[in-house]
Amino acid sequence: MPATLERASPARARTRLSRPQLIRAAITAALLLFVLLGLPQLMSLYYIDTMTQVAVYSMVAVGLGVLVGRVGLVSLGQVAVLAIGAWVAARLLFATTQPFPLVLLEAGLITMVLGVVIGLPALRLRGLYLALITLMLAGAITVVLATVNFPNGGHGFLGYNGSLVHIPPIRRPSIATSDPAYFRYSVVVAILMFALVLAHIKTRPGRAWAAIRQSEPAALAAGINIWFYKLWAFALASFITGVAGGVLAGAVHYLYSIGFPTQDSITLLAVTLMGGVYSLWGAVVAALLYQFLPALLNNWGVSADWLIILFGVGVLQVLTTAPAGLADQVPRDLARLGRFLRNHVRKAAPAPTQGSTK
Amino acid sequence: MPSWQDFEPFIVSGLALGGVYALSGVGLVVLYRATGVLYLAFGAVGALGALIAWSLQKAGTPGWLSWLASVAVAAAVTLGYGILFGPALARRDPLVKAVATIGLTLILYGLMDLLWTTSGGQARSITLPTDGSGFSVGQIQVTWTQVIALAAGVVLTVATGAFLRYTKLGTAMRAMANDRDITATLGVPVRRVEAAAWLGCGVLAGMAGLLLADLVALDATTLTFLVISSLAAVLIARLRSITVTFIAAIVIGLLHDLLTPVNSLTNYRDMTPFVIAAVALLILSRHQVMSQSREEA
Repeated sequence: MPATLERASPARARTRLSRPQLIRAAITAALLLFVLLGLPQLMSLYYIDTMTQVAVYSMVAVGLGVLVGRVGLVSLGQVAVLAIGAWVAARLLFATTQPFPLVLLEAGLITMVLGVVIGLPALRLRGLYLALITLMLAGAITVVLATVNFPNGGHGFLGYNGSLVHIPPIRRPSIATSDPAYFRYSVVVAILMFALVLAHIKTRPGRAWAAIRQSEPAALAAGINIWFYKLWAFALASFITGVAGGVLAGAVHYLYSIGFPTQDSITLLAVTLMGGVYSLWGAVVAALLYQFLPALLNNWGVSADWLIILFGVGVLQVLTTAPAGLADQVPRDLARLGRFLRNHVRKAAPAPTQGSTK
Repeated sequence: MPSWQDFEPFIVSGLALGGVYALSGVGLVVLYRATGVLYLAFGAVGALGALIAWSLQKAGTPGWLSWLASVAVAAAVTLGYGILFGPALARRDPLVKAVATIGLTLILYGLMDLLWTTSGGQARSITLPTDGSGFSVGQIQVTWTQVIALAAGVVLTVATGAFLRYTKLGTAMRAMANDRDITATLGVPVRRVEAAAWLGCGVLAGMAGLLLADLVALDATTLTFLVISSLAAVLIARLRSITVTFIAAIVIGLLHDLLTPVNSLTNYRDMTPFVIAAVALLILSRHQVMSQSREEA
């Protein structure tokens, strides 16, 4: 494939950042600084809480994005994984006095181990079957969680006491007990997770995943251990989602199993596809669609059902016309619109030579 | 351990539930075999039909007309989707086709939640005239709805099996399951055969929706995502065999209801389809061959 060769050779030479890359990095940094410093001051508590959720779900979406966009594995059970992460974190936060970051790490690792144990046999399946078995497993996990409940400060392994009158809230880190501070805290955690994903994509696993996505037989012929790298992707996604679960536990203070229905995994896949699975920005867009838009509509008194309909239309649109999602399509369409406007403004000038859009 | 007496009533309800799962499963398998689409909106379409039947009955429409309307709506929506998006996605991976039907599911689900709000707290229910009357076998009360559910499962499995084997259209569908392009070359009107499969699947979705609305609950969320449970039987049959789908559906339905009186497991009974499907899939997929179909590109 000449296309891949062309793409591979500049990647090797790219030890120093090129100009557009520098600009992009600068914009990203400025945006992050604004989100961390400016945004909490501009928003009401309602929106700060919402944005904390956005940070949480952007992590879930980036994990799913790795699976779907990078390796080509579709998981319909990520919300169940998130619930596992939240459960583990809540249990640890009630049982121990460990510092919060350590708990997040442990929640991520335990979720990762569980994800790998579950994923190990499932990875023998491919495509549609893999997607459906993750859905089945998510359904099973949801039923278990509905029965054992989330820890609420009780004792024993499960940490649930149905007769508690005063349920203690799940604690937050001592440096971030207020809502704005916790928002900043979640954004920092999300940035770390995004960096983790980026580090994977830019190095050996990312290349192996790309090869697997293109063609499994070809990847196998190239000496890539398909099974190992698929499992790695599963482990990475589970880890990130587990950490996200920990952040979620601190954000909401009280967890209920009814908050993690199986169908949310389906909606999550829909918004992740809409946001775009091939870029990290897509995960942010997906989280905004999934958490921010409903809050906004709720504030305006519009039923969230319209949003679900929109997600449905979005999935069909993405699958039929724009496989890279909104994160890719909107900038491209804006660029196209810009060109169109420019061409109209200087109509008198000779028409610029415009090649194909690709 | 509860005594045998406690289990008896659950055999009947389990068989009825299994019958409806079989009904859904057969619809899903036929469509998948003919078009390669796993129709995840099956439950949503059925729910829409059932809710429309409920509204019509509330407005004073005679029962039989509302049931006909509900099946007709389910069939029309399914056929419409098939005609609109079927050809556009025909050459894509089965996974993409299945995910696309999630789009339809979400649209229908949002629409139903908007039009038939559940937040009001009013419980809706559909009663078929077959609910009240029934007979008893020994100690067990059996309603005619339960009989219909099981019978519908049996009859449709047999009828669909015969249809696929002996009719021209059925043969065409089986051929398409093997290779769409070669089938088209042989002069089979591919689009028309696909449309027939979509229509049939829609009719089954409407019927399953009505029966489930009566047997389980008339609630958009429940009915829409009940398809996940029906999927288990289809998965065990590896989206291919109707007979296996039927048997698996009955086993799942029976086991699910038989766990109800067992105190230690009753909370976990909803896991039945998922656990059975997961275990079966893992066992069945022991010997996987790496293959890449042309359509994957």
